[in-house]
Amino acid sequence: MSTPDDFLTPNAPTWCPGCGNFGMWRALRTAYSELGLPFDKLAVVWGIGCHGNGADFTKCQGFHALHGRALPVATGLHLANPELTVVVEMGDGDAFGIGLGHFAHSCRRNLDLTSITHDNQVYGLTTGQASPTTEQGVHTPSTPTGVLERPVNTVGLAIAEGATFVARGFSDDVEHLTGLMKAAITHKGFAVLDVFQPCVTWNKLNTHAWFRERVYRLEDEGWDPTDRAKAMALTLENFSEMTCTPEECRIPIGVIYQEEGRPTYADGLTQVAGPLWKQALAPRDITRALAEQS
Amino acid sequence: MQADPRGPSRRDVQVKIGGAAGFGIKAAGRTLARCFTQGGLHTFDLTEYPSLIRGGHNVYQVRVSPDEIHSHVLPVDVLVALNTETVERHHEEVVDGGAIIYDPKTTSVESVPDPKRLCIVAVPLDDIVVEAGGQRIMRNVAALGAVLGLTGYPLSFLTDSLVAQFAHKGPEIAKVNVEVATKGREFALKAACPFPVHLEPVPNALPQILVDGNEAVGLGALAAGIGMYCAYPMTPASTLLHYLAAHDHEYGVVVKHTEDEIAAMNTVIGASFAGARAMCATSGGGFSLMVEGLGLAGVSESAIVVGVFTRPGPATGLPTWTEQSDLRFVLHAAQGEFPRVVLAPGDRTDAFELTWKAFNLADQLQTPVILLGDTYLSDNRESVAPFDTAAVCVDRGKIVTDGDIATHPEALDDAGMYLRYKVTPDGLSTRALPGVTGALQVMNSYEHDEYGYGAQGEEVANRVAQNEKRLRKLDRACGLVPPPALFGADPSTAEISILCFGSTKGPVREAIGWLAREGVNVAVMQIVTIWPFPVHEVSEFMDRSKRTMVVEGNATGQLEGLIRQKCLRAPDWRINRYDGRPFSPEQIFETVREVVLGVHA
Repeated sequence: MSTPDDFLTPNAPTWCPGCGNFGMWRALRTAYSELGLPFDKLAVVWGIGCHGNGADFTKCQGFHALHGRALPVATGLHLANPELTVVVEMGDGDAFGIGLGHFAHSCRRNLDLTSITHDNQVYGLTTGQASPTTEQGVHTPSTPTGVLERPVNTVGLAIAEGATFVARGFSDDVEHLTGLMKAAITHKGFAVLDVFQPCVTWNKLNTHAWFRERVYRLEDEGWDPTDRAKAMALTLENFSEMTCTPEECRIPIGVIYQEEGRPTYADGLTQVAGPLWKQALAPRDITRALAEQS
Repeated sequence: MQADPRGPSRRDVQVKIGGAAGFGIKAAGRTLARCFTQGGLHTFDLTEYPSLIRGGHNVYQVRVSPDEIHSHVLPVDVLVALNTETVERHHEEVVDGGAIIYDPKTTSVESVPDPKRLCIVAVPLDDIVVEAGGQRIMRNVAALGAVLGLTGYPLSFLTDSLVAQFAHKGPEIAKVNVEVATKGREFALKAACPFPVHLEPVPNALPQILVDGNEAVGLGALAAGIGMYCAYPMTPASTLLHYLAAHDHEYGVVVKHTEDEIAAMNTVIGASFAGARAMCATSGGGFSLMVEGLGLAGVSESAIVVGVFTRPGPATGLPTWTEQSDLRFVLHAAQGEFPRVVLAPGDRTDAFELTWKAFNLADQLQTPVILLGDTYLSDNRESVAPFDTAAVCVDRGKIVTDGDIATHPEALDDAGMYLRYKVTPDGLSTRALPGVTGALQVMNSYEHDEYGYGAQGEEVANRVAQNEKRLRKLDRACGLVPPPALFGADPSTAEISILCFGSTKGPVREAIGWLAREGVNVAVMQIVTIWPFPVHEVSEFMDRSKRTMVVEGNATGQLEGLIRQKCLRAPDWRINRYDGRPFSPEQIFETVREVVLGVHA
C-alpha cells in the first residue's frame, strides 16, 4: 500500500503559503494512495496556471499541457490507452475561460476522465485579473470598475452538458475532498469536481474564512444526487451570488449529481481494444482498401 | 477556342460534364473514369465546384489517354451539358471537331456561335430515363452511355459497373440503369459527325487504381498503422476525415470529429503521448487554430503528423479552389524555435509514400511532420499503379512501449531515474510510453529539464542545452528525409530548369513532355522535402542549369524566396498563379516557349 508521500517528486511546491492548492494536492495524493493507483499507470494532465505547477510536484505520468487544452490532450491519451487512469487538473480560467468549449464537449461525450478544477475565482499566475468565475461587480486589474458579466455556473454547465458525476469540494476540508476525489476517479464516465480553493494573494473576497462560513456538506442534509432536474435547480440557486451574506447564501459541497450506467465514449469505440500503439507494430495490410480503388 | 499543344497526333480525350450542384456530376464522372481505367487507359480528373450544396455550377472533367498523363489540360473534347449554363460557359473550350452532348428538352445550344466547327449531339436524356422508368438522376448514366458511344469505347465497362454498383438495390434498378446507358449510347452512334479520337481498351494493361490525394493519404496512414485521426471538417481536407471514418472499424482506428481544430491537434498530441500513431489534417484556416498545439508538439517532443491542404486564403478565402500559398505559414507556424519536417507530395503516389514515411519520421525525430498539399491534389483522382505496399515499413524510433524502464539504462540517470528529455548527441531521447514500469515522466509545454520538470527549465545552461538538443534533431532529419525528385532532361543540357513543389509537379511534367516534342529540353526539380530545405541539392541543380524558373501557385514567390534565402541564388524566371485555379500544362508550356524560343503564343 502506498502513502500520499509516495506521489512526491524531488521538487518542493512553489505555491504561496496558505494557497488552497496545498489542500487539493494533499487530498489528491491521499486519494491516489488509498485507491492503490501505481504512479506509472496514473496519468495526470495539467493546464496552465498556479495549479499546473503541480506537474513538478506530483509523481505520475504527467503532461503539463497548454492553457485551456488539458482536456483534449487527456482525451487523446485516454482513448489511445484506456488502461491508464487519467486525471485532468485545470484552473477556472483554463476550464471555464479559454477552454470552455473543450469542457462542454467533454461533458457530453461522457469520457471516462476525471476533471478537477482549481476554482479560486481569480487569475493567480497572471496577477489577479477577473476569471470566468469571478463574481459580478468585483474590481480587479482587468476590471477596475467591476466585472460586468455573470460568473460561469460551472457545475450547472457540467450537468446540462451531460457529465455523469458532478461535485463540488472545498480545499480546507481535506478529508471530505479526498472522498470526493476518490468517488470522482472511480466513477465510470466524465467526472467533474469543481473545488473552491482560495487564492490568498489575489482574491481578498473569497477567502478561506469566507468559504468556511458558507459551505455545508450535502450529504449531511440527506441530498439525493440522482435527480438531474433537482441537481440543476440547486446549481441555479446557490452558486452565483457569492457576495451575499453567509445566512443568505449557503454553499453546498459534495456530490451534486451522479448517474451510473450511462455508456462512456470509449464504450462506443468497438473497433479497438487495448492501447493503440499496438496498431503500429508492423505495416497494416491494406489490400482490401486498395481493391476499393480499382 | 484554345490552342492545343497536344498536337494533331494526340491520343487523349478530355470529357467535361457540367450542370447544377446536386446533379450527381462528380459521382457520374468518377464512374466514367473507372470505366476507362478498368480498360487499361490512364485518367486524370478535375472537379470544380462552388462552396454550395445546391444551385451553383459544377463541372467534372476527366482526361483519358492510352499514354501516361500527369494532369488535366485546358481543351475539352467532349462537353456533356446538363444545362444551358454549361453550354454558355464552356463551349469555347471545346476543340474544333469536338462534341457537345445535350438534351434539347432541357438545354439550349443557341449560345454556340459557330456550331459547324463542333459535333452537336442531341441525346434526349430526360425522355430516355422516363421511358425506361428511371429517376431523373439517371440522366447522368444516359450521358455516360453517349460519351462511350461517341468515343467508340465498349459499353460493357459501364454496364458491368452499374450492375455491381446497384447490386445491393436489386436487379430491377441495375436493369433500368443498363437500359438507360444503352439508349444513351445508341443516340450518340446516330450522330452525323465522326468523333476524331477513338478510345479502345488496352490489352494486357498493367493494373491500376484510381485515387485522389486524400484517399492516397488515408491509405498511407492506414498502412503506417495510424491509431487515431482527429479533424474538424474543412474543405479540401474533409474527405480524408470521411475516408478514415469509413474505414475505422475495418482497420481499428479511432477517428474523431472534434469540436474544433484546437481540440483535434491537442487530442492527437495526447494520443501520441500514449504511443498511438496519430494525425490531424485541415486547410489553412483550421491550421491557424492548430498552430498553438503545433508548438506544444515541438517543445514536448511529440510525434505527430499534420496534413495542411491549402485552399486560397486569407480567412475563408475560396473554399473549393486551389493555391500553394501556405508554404511560409507551415514553415514558420508557432512561436519560438523547434524542429519540424515539411513534406510536399506532388501526386497521389507521392501522397501515399510520403504519408507512411511521415509517420516514421515523426517517430524517429519525435517532432511534428507536416504534409503540405492543396485542393488540386486532394480532390482529383488520377489512375496510378497500385501503391507499393511492400515498401512500407514501420520505424518507431527510440521508443519503449512496455516492460520496465530499468532495462533501458541509457535512458536513466545515475540514480535510476528516467530522463524523458535526456540530452544526446543527435538530440533524440528514449521515449517511454506511460504505463512502462518505473518511468516517472512529465511531458511539458514549459521549457523543462531532462526529467521534464519545468522548475529548472529556465536555468540558462538548461535552456540552451534543451533548445539545442531539440534543434539538433533537424540535422538528424537531413539524413532521413526524401531528397528532391528530378524529371526531364539533365540540367546541364536543358534549355531551362524548373523548380517547383507540390501538385504543380503534374502540370509541369505534362508540359515538359510537349516541350520535348518541340525540341525544348527542360529539367525539373520537385522539392519534396521543403524543410529541412535541401540546400545542397537545389544549389547544385541551379549551378548546373543554363537558366532557372520557379513555378508556384502563390503571388509572393514563397518557394522562390526560400531558395534565395537558403541557397543565395536567384532564379531567372518565375510563374506565379493565384487565381484559385491549378496550373495548366498549357500555361507552363507557353511561358517556357516564350522564354526559351522567344515564341509568343
